[in-house]
Amino acid sequence: MTEVKWVEVSNRDDVPDETVIEITVEGRDIALYGVDGKVYATDNLCTHGNARLCDGFLDGHEIECPLHQGMFDVRNGQPTCAPVILPLQTYPVKIDSGRVWVGLGQ
Amino acid sequence: MITPEHLKWPAGADCTAVPYAVFQDQEIYDLEQEKIYNGKTWNFLAAGAEIPEKGDYKTTYIGDTPVVVTRGQDGEIHAWVNRCAHRGAEICRERHGKSEDGLFTCVYHQWAYDATGDLRGVPFLRGLAGKGGMPRDFDKKRHGLRKIRTVNYSGAIFGTFSADTPDIESYMGEDVRASFKRILNRPIEILGTTRQYLAGNWKFYAENVRDPYHASLLHLFHATFGLYRSSQKGGCVDNNKLNSVLWASGATEDEAALDDMKKDKLRTLQTDQYELKDRSLLAGKKEFDDDISLVILSLFPSLVLQQIQNTLAFRQILPKGRDRFELVWTYFGYQDDSEELRNIRLKQLNLIGPGGLISMEDGEVTEICQNATVRDGKYLNVLQMAGREVKGDDHLVTEGLIRSLWQGYREIMDF
Amino acid sequence: MVSLHSGDAAAESLDKLAEAMLDREVGELLNAYVQSIDDDELESWPDFFTEKCLYRIVPRENHERGLPAAVMWCDSRDMMVDRITALRHANIYQVQWYRHIISAPRILAVTGDEIHVRSNYAVFRTCNDGESTVYNVGRYVDVIVRDKDVLKFRERSVIYDTHKISTLMVIPI
Repeated sequence: MTEVKWVEVSNRDDVPDETVIEITVEGRDIALYGVDGKVYATDNLCTHGNARLCDGFLDGHEIECPLHQGMFDVRNGQPTCAPVILPLQTYPVKIDSGRVWVGLGQ
Repeated sequence: MITPEHLKWPAGADCTAVPYAVFQDQEIYDLEQEKIYNGKTWNFLAAGAEIPEKGDYKTTYIGDTPVVVTRGQDGEIHAWVNRCAHRGAEICRERHGKSEDGLFTCVYHQWAYDATGDLRGVPFLRGLAGKGGMPRDFDKKRHGLRKIRTVNYSGAIFGTFSADTPDIESYMGEDVRASFKRILNRPIEILGTTRQYLAGNWKFYAENVRDPYHASLLHLFHATFGLYRSSQKGGCVDNNKLNSVLWASGATEDEAALDDMKKDKLRTLQTDQYELKDRSLLAGKKEFDDDISLVILSLFPSLVLQQIQNTLAFRQILPKGRDRFELVWTYFGYQDDSEELRNIRLKQLNLIGPGGLISMEDGEVTEICQNATVRDGKYLNVLQMAGREVKGDDHLVTEGLIRSLWQGYREIMDF
Repeated sequence: MVSLHSGDAAAESLDKLAEAMLDREVGELLNAYVQSIDDDELESWPDFFTEKCLYRIVPRENHERGLPAAVMWCDSRDMMVDRITALRHANIYQVQWYRHIISAPRILAVTGDEIHVRSNYAVFRTCNDGESTVYNVGRYVDVIVRDKDVLKFRERSVIYDTHKISTLMVIPI
């Protein structure tokens, strides 16, 4: 099992509920979502088209891609509405001292 | 749309004497787009075998309107007008293609539709960073593509814009239907496509394919090579006036018959005699239960289904303005053809198509008729071979099918 | 003193000369072919081919989709003779002349007795009204062999881009 490398990426306050922001860490574009008091992280690039999910619409735990309105569950990356078919890469998140950490390397 | 009075046929004109204006007049061409192509007609779109897999599509036309026919993710056939509901751009721009993700996306603003033509994706529907977006009451369901009613009949796909077009079997008629199913009796294999354009009105061709009278007189290949058999039997029939079948039986590779014919002095047309050096061109294989070797089936307005010996083809007639049309030939065999039969078909394709040894003249005559009738709209042609009745016959020296065509045309155009 | 390398250099020179001569011979064949057609010497057309040969005219769209249907297909010189007989005595078409313009040929490979050649062509057609139009453009894909010391086509594929053929095609390309 690969060692998870934790990287500090933002303030906890930057990701309130019903918000999605983008961060770049170690060359990767990642979207952070505030859902029911928790923070989730996925790749920012939609698996269907050339669109950034941070430009989309977060509806509860689902992110709607701005291009064709396909949807993913941000908690596990699974597609929940066509035309998206392939799941999103997700990343583990931990909150520590008011900072958001994302786990890379898995 | 009401037919304007000044377009109606003059006294003295009827289905035995058609005014050349029908071939030349721009207003009539425009009216045809309404009455025929947007009316109660079934228009050939594709063979199902051209779009075998989910996501496959083909672009074609109904009249002047560009359309797309596709096999959806559900395996079903759908067709719609090739025009984005947003601001009118063409969506599919290739002759054939495949949608990998099941969507059809317009290049202009990436509006995306599924195979049924429903609108699925509108970029920035909800705006970007809180700005813009469509109005809250924008409903995707009301902005899909203009859908076309389709039918997949024996592996041939037809489309109509009218909800009132009768079912395909009633539209065809009994004889046409039987002849259609005789050829399209099992899965087909597409062998390829060729395309021609002709500088003439499409209806000169519609007449030509309902005209068995011209066969041995215009197409001199058989006569020149001593292949024409005066004892060849045939007949023709019209269904619902606009559709027709003509057929001829007796193959020409029968050696005994050919010898008889050499002695037989009854020739329709005395031509010089040459011999084919390579007779393999005409070597064929009997593949139908009857001994019919030629069938020209016309399904108004856009399809001819043909069997000429072992060649099988769809010929799609596409008008491109009042003085030009295109002919798209889609050649096929059957999926269960042996290698030998397939090769026979490929070699016999020399007989048909734009370079067809026995068919090329059909294109030529549409043009010579176009050229000579340019300013003669009020003059009438003469359609009296085998009498003046509107019907087929049990022989081939007749213009009865052409008279039927014009009778049906007058009705559909309200002339 | 004769160095070891001069023998190689001579051989290389001879190779280059042979290549140049072959280029020229192939070019001569391709030009003679199209000029013969343009000059209405169609009875000579089959003579450019070996006895057992393949001549076909296929649209690019079929070729790219792996579909075999052709506008013209001759797999013997006799079939070609028959096509010309039909053209002269049976088929009906308006008077027309071709004018081929071809690119310099490229010899892609020489394998055994076969020379694989590729060239582009454009055919302008002039009809009775005197107007010359672009009638058909495409490429030739050839397999050429030496037949009694004369280069001939064993295979000539005419793969045309101009899908919409104007009226008909009666003269070979």
